[in-house]
Amino acid sequence: MRTVIDVNRILGPIPTGEVPSADAPGLIAELDRLRIDRACAVHALALYYDPVSAHGASEHGASQHGTSQHGASSHGDAQPAGTADAGRLVHVPVLVPGPLGTGAGTGRLVRLCPAEHRFALAGPHGLALAGEVADRGGGVLLGWESAPAADVHRLAARLPRLPIVLINTGYRSLRELADLMDAHPRIGVDTATLSGHLSVEWLARRYGPHRVLFGTGAPVSDDAGPRFQLDLLDLPEADVDLIAGGNARALLGLADEEWTA
Amino acid sequence: MTDGDTTEGGAVEGGAVDGGDAWRGRVIDAHGHLGSWFNFAIPDPSTAGLLSVMDRAGVATMCVSHLLGVGPDARAGNALLLAELARRPGRLLGYAVYDPHDRQAPARLAELLDEPAVIGVKLHPDTHQYPLDGPAYAPAFALAADRGRLVLSHGEHGSAWSDPERFATVAARHPGVPLLMGHAGLWPAGFDAAARVADRCPNVVLEICGSRMTARHLARLVATAGADRMVFGSDALFLDLRVGLGRVVLAPIAPADRDLLLFGTMTRLLKGTR
Repeated sequence: MRTVIDVNRILGPIPTGEVPSADAPGLIAELDRLRIDRACAVHALALYYDPVSAHGASEHGASQHGTSQHGASSHGDAQPAGTADAGRLVHVPVLVPGPLGTGAGTGRLVRLCPAEHRFALAGPHGLALAGEVADRGGGVLLGWESAPAADVHRLAARLPRLPIVLINTGYRSLRELADLMDAHPRIGVDTATLSGHLSVEWLARRYGPHRVLFGTGAPVSDDAGPRFQLDLLDLPEADVDLIAGGNARALLGLADEEWTA
Repeated sequence: MTDGDTTEGGAVEGGAVDGGDAWRGRVIDAHGHLGSWFNFAIPDPSTAGLLSVMDRAGVATMCVSHLLGVGPDARAGNALLLAELARRPGRLLGYAVYDPHDRQAPARLAELLDEPAVIGVKLHPDTHQYPLDGPAYAPAFALAADRGRLVLSHGEHGSAWSDPERFATVAARHPGVPLLMGHAGLWPAGFDAAARVADRCPNVVLEICGSRMTARHLARLVATAGADRMVFGSDALFLDLRVGLGRVVLAPIAPADRDLLLFGTMTRLLKGTR
């Protein structure tokens, strides 16, 4: 059976509406409903409140939502071991560089939000932090609206070994994505909001299925549409398997025997 | 909203999610396009490619306008539309684009509505930068009323040209014309406003395509406006048909509401065209 990993999920309350994924049980119920085995989740408080202070996030309820930023496993699992849902949610820390930032953390997969958190992706601090992530074999999720394409180019050129997954790229960005993906083989994309007609197939055929990862951006963007699309892609089954979860497993450093979903 | 249990959706079969398949092969997509567009790339803009996706997704019929017509040249775009409708009988139905700046548009629309496969008129107030309730659109509504045809207009909450309130204005002027509000307001902040207009105006129907719509928003619209006042549209080949379809198939709504969205409401509207 195909394994499905959403690389782009938000856990916790968001400011624009009441959502089922406001807590971990609610998010897992959503994953079950759409038959998604695992989700890489950033916490909403890190996006919308305070990315720097894990202590602040815990104080405001992150722990009770099952997203403690302390004690994550080497893969960043957000669920306690031994529960039925152990490992379903992979905590993705949101990092901020510089003296007012978070430090490089320990996660295998991290997210950077330069525009939202007001730092320069390709500035001295940003490059230093990304370099630390690259040195430990990690990769980054980077929102398309979060940094200019020129900054993504500078980052990828400076750190060619760093996997960069551009998320929430929208349906109008294909030419700009092609510019970056032609130049930088470690740049990939997720499928959240990549909703242009046949865009997923075009990217998978031109750049290889190993550079396309299933993601939703939910609950800010839609999860049902990308999930349904995944099952109807006009690609070889092996390619769809990579997009669905194989590429995410590699990004997270999950060996086959560690897969329990 | 239809009585009955809300579906859990997401039926698991062989690792795929299909939400049940009673809808498959019956879907009518109320908002589609042919052609290409200037400010982003469509990797395969061919009609054959679009039909291939329709086949893969179980969509029986798509109601389309031509993007050349929506953009700079309504006359040429409508001519291309007619040619494609003739090549794809039964799979494509057409909306003739009405350009409010073309003084010959009323006469041309009258001819286009003689074509059996042309089910209505497509208006795009934002592209043409002309308000939906402006006088230059009045002949289009009058012809639609006279010929028993639908009007589909781009609808965008907050737009100077196509805010939902402008739909309320023209719907009241032309109560016999089924008026599809494209995108149901487009922006999440506008979905409630769109539903309120549908509540006030019995001839307004909400069409639900758009990149900002989610299954959660859709379920809320069904609860407030009712699935019998809503139709599925994908905005293909702008957008990927499968993404819009999946948003309905896997939404947390009752199967009966899902079926109204996917084909029931549009079947009723098409039966009403003469």
